[in-house]
Amino acid sequence: MLSLPAYLDAGTGSMLLQVLAGGLAAAAVAGRLFWNRILTLLRIRKPQEEPAAPDAPASGGPGSPRDAA
Amino acid sequence: MATVVREEGSFRDPDSRVFHGDDGVYRVLSARGLADYRALAATPLLAAAVRSGRLVETELLDDEAAPRPAETELPHAPAGVLRHARIPFVSYPYEWSWSMLRDAALLQLELLADALDHGLTLKDATPYNVQWRGAQPQFVDLGSFEPLREGEPWVAYRQFCTLFLNPLLLQALTGVPFQPWLRGSLEGIAPAELAGLLRRRDRLRRGVLTHVVLHARMERRHAGRSREVRRELRSAGFGTELIRANVAGLRKLLRRLDWRPPETVWTAYERDKSYSDADEARKDAFVRAAVAQAPQPLRRVWDLGANTGRYARIAAEHADCVLAIDSDQAAVELLYRELREERSARIVPLVVDLAAPSPALGWRGRERMPLERRGQPSLTLALAVVHHLSIAANVPLREVVEWFASLGGSLVVEFPHRDDPMVRTLLAGKRDGLHADYERDAFERLLAEAFEVERRETLASGTRTLYLAHPREGATIDLRGRRTA
Repeated sequence: MLSLPAYLDAGTGSMLLQVLAGGLAAAAVAGRLFWNRILTLLRIRKPQEEPAAPDAPASGGPGSPRDAA
Repeated sequence: MATVVREEGSFRDPDSRVFHGDDGVYRVLSARGLADYRALAATPLLAAAVRSGRLVETELLDDEAAPRPAETELPHAPAGVLRHARIPFVSYPYEWSWSMLRDAALLQLELLADALDHGLTLKDATPYNVQWRGAQPQFVDLGSFEPLREGEPWVAYRQFCTLFLNPLLLQALTGVPFQPWLRGSLEGIAPAELAGLLRRRDRLRRGVLTHVVLHARMERRHAGRSREVRRELRSAGFGTELIRANVAGLRKLLRRLDWRPPETVWTAYERDKSYSDADEARKDAFVRAAVAQAPQPLRRVWDLGANTGRYARIAAEHADCVLAIDSDQAAVELLYRELREERSARIVPLVVDLAAPSPALGWRGRERMPLERRGQPSLTLALAVVHHLSIAANVPLREVVEWFASLGGSLVVEFPHRDDPMVRTLLAGKRDGLHADYERDAFERLLAEAFEVERRETLASGTRTLYLAHPREGATIDLRGRRTA
């Protein structure tokens, strides 16, 4: 269970946008984000029209220990 | 132990509630709020930001000194109480000019950047947490600071966009003033709302494309998947570096962004500033004498229709807090730029339409107070204002005088006679006989009902009269402006 500490709702789109707006610092995160999504999709159903991930390595996919926080 | 009154606009953050007392503003914290405060106090950030004036002066009170509000006033068991230095006059972003909102935004981002360096973050990003000491912004909500949880995105990013960035972009890119919108919508301007107003070439501008256009699209596409996305971001390694990069990007964007008042406003402003004749010199002297003779210390002066701030500056020679109020946001912008340059600590320029001053707003109309409820003036300056209210805005002369009286303080008022060139111009647009009550005798009768007139002086031109008047004992006027006794 994730804790939701804030009294504001961060907004889903606004959270994702921060990855887009983060410039170079965000490139690796964006890469991993989309790569993780692709892995998830591959396991569950056929790949869909999700954009191909850039040359980012996969690490800490869903199910990594942090998720238990 | 001080008695305190609850600030009705303080209820959104469950860990912190604000109360007003005689000697300051109190913030009652929950156990969690207190832990957050201690985390802030353990860093050098708190002392440094207070010293530089960026953060309001604050102390954690001993239990004996702390007020104890009724339990019903609090959503949590009180664990600690902070006392803040009082802000001379609380103002709201819909009363600020463009550069005021931008400077407040830059302060918010600067504090967030500093907080991140110390393992903290700011849980919200609203201009209502910034107040003014003269032309200097100060952050007042210490309850905003909390420890940063690794892997969390910047929760207040959206709020920063709707209440700071988007209003600034709206005005900078389209020329439409943001104040009426912020007054109408306390949550600010949503990305999709702004995106729909921008021209194609503006939509492609750096910063605008991401923070407005793509932001609007992301919101549309990903609504309702909050928890899932939070988990995804965390596992993709979302970290402080990314928040820092976003904050740096926004600071750069805002520093480059500019809005300039139209040329006509610059020209009129410069002309008014340098304008000088026998009448102006007499007016200066009249105001200077009124301010100097007023009971000291003169706590608060309102200069209505302040324009270039000529009389606000005179008032500031003796008063601690002068509000330079004008309905023209472009003129207020120019005045703010000058006051910022001068590092004025006493004059706060504000955008307020005097014919429709800021009303009660928000939840049950109690969250944002009307202008008059936030600290009444001990002296009101109303120079070159009465004819605008009475003729241009069609407010009956009696109502105008009653409003002045309802403010509670002494009054310096100028009455331009019917044959004054400016009055003639205003009357020329109206049908004959519409403003039959606009006469000096009628004005003086009304003035004498609510005030004792101490001094009266007709200027050399012979078309304007100045009055110094004090509230009449017994003529109490309630806030609706009706005499009750």
